[in-house]
This record gives sequence, structure tokens and C-alpha cells, in this order.
Amino acid sequence: MEHKHQVIVVGGGPAGLNAAKYAANAGCEVALLDSATRLGGQYWRNTGNEIEDQATHHDFDQGSLLMDAVTANPRITHYPNTTIWSAAILDDEITLRTQDDVFSTTRLILATGAYDRSLPFPGWDIPGVMTAGAAQSLLKGEGVIAGKRIVVAGSGPFLLPVASGITSHGGKVVGVIEAAGRFAWLPEILTLLQNPTKISEGLGYLLTLRKAKVAMRFKQAVVAAHAGADGLLDSITVANIDAEFRIKSTYSLQCDVAAIGWGFTPDTSLAGALGLKEEVAADGSVVVVVDDNQCATSPQPEVQVFAAGEITGIGGSGLSLAEGAIAGLSAAASRTNLRQLKKLRRRAHRFALTLQRVYSIPAGWQSWLTPETIICRCEEVNYEAIQDVSEKFGADDARSAKLMTRCGMGMCQGRICSRNVADLLNSPDSDRIKGVYRPIIAPITLGELAQDGLL
Amino acid sequence: MITFTFNGLELTARTGQSVAAALLSHNERITRLTRISGKPRGIFCGIGVCFDCLIIIDGKPNQRSCITEVKEGMVVVTQDGA
Ligand SMILES: Cc1cc2nc3c(=O)[nH]c(=O)nc-3n(C[C@H](O)[C@H](O)[C@H](O)COP(=O)(O)OP(=O)(O)OC[C@H]3O[C@@H](n4cnc5c(N)ncnc54)[C@H](O)[C@@H]3O)c2cc1C
Ligand code: FES
Repeated sequence: MEHKHQVIVVGGGPAGLNAAKYAANAGCEVALLDSATRLGGQYWRNTGNEIEDQATHHDFDQGSLLMDAVTANPRITHYPNTTIWSAAILDDEITLRTQDDVFSTTRLILATGAYDRSLPFPGWDIPGVMTAGAAQSLLKGEGVIAGKRIVVAGSGPFLLPVASGITSHGGKVVGVIEAAGRFAWLPEILTLLQNPTKISEGLGYLLTLRKAKVAMRFKQAVVAAHAGADGLLDSITVANIDAEFRIKSTYSLQCDVAAIGWGFTPDTSLAGALGLKEEVAADGSVVVVVDDNQCATSPQPEVQVFAAGEITGIGGSGLSLAEGAIAGLSAAASRTNLRQLKKLRRRAHRFALTLQRVYSIPAGWQSWLTPETIICRCEEVNYEAIQDVSEKFGADDARSAKLMTRCGMGMCQGRICSRNVADLLNSPDSDRIKGVYRPIIAPITLGELAQDGLL
Repeated sequence: MITFTFNGLELTARTGQSVAAALLSHNERITRLTRISGKPRGIFCGIGVCFDCLIIIDGKPNQRSCITEVKEGMVVVTQDGA
């Protein structure tokens, strides 16, 4: 079926919700497309059970108010279970395709968010090793505690809500393993103190963890995982690491789940398909470039594309909300409250950059790899194969590595491995940006492509 | 409450739960065996990004169990290969 809308928003997280709300309130007719069944994105993930949801969610009230406002707004049409798998600009119009539908507009707001950044290590493909976000979405969205003995590891403030959420729902967290130092935030104390609500949120999590006697370990990392006879995660090797993340000494810890998060990677695949300008941000991730009004650089000036939320840089829900509001207003060519919103955005942005500096990830993780370590999980390409490419063939870009090893050509389209492969090959920024360009972004079967006459 | 089968075994799930979450709540962690080395895989990203949790649902392979809602009478089978 074909659908035409004045403004289309892709993504129903904090950024997309606010974009839809502000654009609609300024008089636009808006379609809000999201691949999930329920609105909320990664932050306001909900089980549909209000009592449970209130218990797991920070800011649940703000989220439900916003979601109610969006659902009740007659100018907004929400399309749930709608995954866009291709995007193109044709005849001065933006065309978005799902498996069955075609959406078109001249004003698009992309708010596709981010997913966990993962670093490879020996055994990270064993069932039981998962991302910190996976453990969180199981708890918040599904009401399931990921395991019986859970280690939460990686780096960054996100580890705290994950560990404290599991603990306060009766789960056993056997340790929180943070790669940064205990006082890594101290040099940035002045900026951090300007965000008292975030600080008190963090202290709340720490208090929950302390009450439950959960061990917090710093300057440590999970550097290997080991399976039992049943093939499932049985134990991990934890290392004391130096400032470059190189291993100093190790010990072993038993657990059935290791929930590991190294921050997040923006999902800019739709932006790449549309040919929007992208750049490599300070934290090494590829982001969509936007101007002061969240307007992206579109290859065709007849259509307007805005981007908001974590696809423009990792910064949490507060920054996503502010950016979404500004994108919504800009798409509607309204200036109501624009100045206050920009002030909010500036502050949230400064906070986000500070956190990125505190929890930055040096290249020493590469020393954890063995020749057999899987780098591309989909195509089962190991570290040795990647090294072979760069040594024997002189390939220093992810594209050549991809063609020679099939790495990044699997079902996930390189979402999990491409950033790591680019790091391993020391790829220049231009190749990192090219590496995330994918015209077909959510894999569909060849049969479906053929049916659409695309093959 | 919903009833579905996993490799012939009858299991229960809560309405609205994903297939992966329902399996996990019965401590079933392996959704597929990989195509090349036959190694077990399970839920990894939890949000439909990594395609590690692929499984066969009602005869259809390559379904992402973490974002597919479990339905009454669903027939779920471990995916061998792919
Ligand atoms: C698994 C996970 C759990 C998280 N949990 C928390 C938490 O508990 N607390 C916290 O502070 N932060 C959490 N975060 C961080 C989170 O990214 C931000 O807090 C915030 O949600 C970002 O908002 P956003 O609107 O930019 O994107 P998101 O909230 O990520 O929303 C993006 C939306 O776009 C949709 N989408 C993406 N691509 C397409 C497509 N092609 N077609 C259709 N729809 C699409 C997605 O389904 C999603 O609903 C989590 C992140 C992840 C990955
Ligand atoms: S766990 Fe990643 S797609 Fe399901």
C-alpha cells in the first residue's frame, strides 16, 4: 500500500516521539513509523503492564505522558511493527519502503537511535554473553531476569541502571566490572555538577547496589568467556587493565550471564541510504551531521531531512528529547520555544560529551584477541582472517576486508562488527563512513526482493 | 498465559512476551547453531539488530526471536545452520 504524509518521523523513542508531538502541535499532519509494537524506543520500553513498568522505569511518568499525548493527537498516525528497509530520494520526494508498504513525504525526520557497542573477545559468541542493553530490554520490556548469576560489565554510566534494575527485581548481580577508574569522572566534576538530576539518578543506582552488597570493580574488564559442557556460559576471565586497556593480571568468575556494554553506536543506516552527510564523532562513532535546527545535509534541496536523537551522537534520553523537539519545530517551520529548547540541548550536549571523555575506549582491547576470536559473528570470520587481509593484501579499509573475508556481509549488515573491523584495520574516517552505507538496511529474504522486482 | 512448543516440548509464556524471553524464562538459551562451525548462539543484542537469535517459527526460518511476539500454539524449533 502507498501512504503519503506531510511529515514522516522514523523512530518512536524519545527523539521521534517529541519530534512528532512538536510538529503536530505546530499544525503538521505527521506519520510516526516504528519497528516495535509499542512506542517508547529503547528508553521507555514497556511490557504493557503498568505496575511493573512503573517499578522498572526511571522517568516513567514523563514517558507515559509523552506517549499518551502522541497517541491522543489526531494529527499523528502511529504505524507500529513498521520496519523501513530502504530509503531513497526520487523525483523530489523521499520514499521509504517496508516489506509491504511504501511511504512518501517531502519532510522526513530520522530518529532511529542507537544500539550497544560491543567489543570482541574470545568466547563472546557463547550463549549467555549478551549486551548490557539486551539484559535491560529483557528486564524492562519482557519482565525477565537474564540469568541466575549475572555479571554486568563494560564501561559507562549505563551499567548502573542495568545492574541496579536486575538487583531490585530480585536478580543476582555477582559483580559490576567497569573499565574506567573509580574516580575517572573527577577531572570533569564541574560540568557534571551542572546536571544535578543525572547525578542523583546515578547515586540512586549506586545506593541500590550497595544495599544489595553488589561488588563494584574498577579498571577491570571481561577478556574471555568459557562454556560448560552444555555449550552455555559457565565462567569468564576478568582482567585488571591499564589505562590503555592492556591486561595486567587475571582471575576467573563464575556466571551464567555476562551483560557487557561499551556505550552505544548510532544506527545511521537509513541516513546512509539517503546520502545524508555523516562524520566520525569524538567517540569514534559515525553520526549524521546536522545544523542548529537539526537539519541534515540532503543531497537534494527540494526535500528536507532532519535527524534527531542518538543518530546525531550518543547522549541519552534528555538530549534526544531536546533534539526531537527542535527537529519537530523545524520541520513545521515554527519557532515557538525554540530558544529555550536550544539552551536545553546545549546543556545536555555538554554533559554527553563529558561522559564520552570520561568513558572513552582506548585501543588496548585489541590485545585481548586470539587468532581464533570471532570478529564478525554472522559470517564467523575470525581475527586471523582479518589480520591476513591487512598483512598479505595490504587492505586497510573495511570494504576490502568485507569483500575478501565476507566480514560484515551477514544478516546484521555489519552493524555489530564494522566499527571494530575499522578499528582493527586502522581505517581512515572516510572508510568508516562508507562502511556504514547500506541501501538495504533491514535484511529481507531474496524472495521478497524478487517479488518487488528489485532483483 | 500462552502455550507454545519448543523442539516438541510444551512451554508457557506471558502474553506479549518475545519468543526469546519466553525461552529464557525456561532457561532455554540456544536459539540456533551456526552455519559454518555449528556453534550454539542465543540472544545477544536483544533489540533485533544482531540477528544472532534466529530461530524457526511455524516452519519459517531466520525469525528474530527477540522481537517476535510469542503466540498461542506457536511451533518453535532450534535453527540448525544460517
Ligand atoms: C537495548 C538498549 C537499552 C537501553 N536502555 C536504556 C535505559 O534503560 N536507560 C537509559 O537512560 N538509556 C537506555 N538506552 C540508551 C538509549 O539509547 C537512549 O536513552 C534513548 O533511548 C535514545 O533515544 P532515541 O530516540 O535517540 O532512540 P531510541 O530510543 O533508540 O529509538 C529509536 C527507535 O527507532 C526505531 N527504528 C530504528 N530503525 C528503524 C527502522 N529502520 N524502521 C523503523 N523503526 C526503526 C527503533 O525500533 C526505536 O524504537 C538503551 C539503549 C539500548 C540500545
Ligand atoms: S538478539 Fe540480536 S537480533 Fe535478536
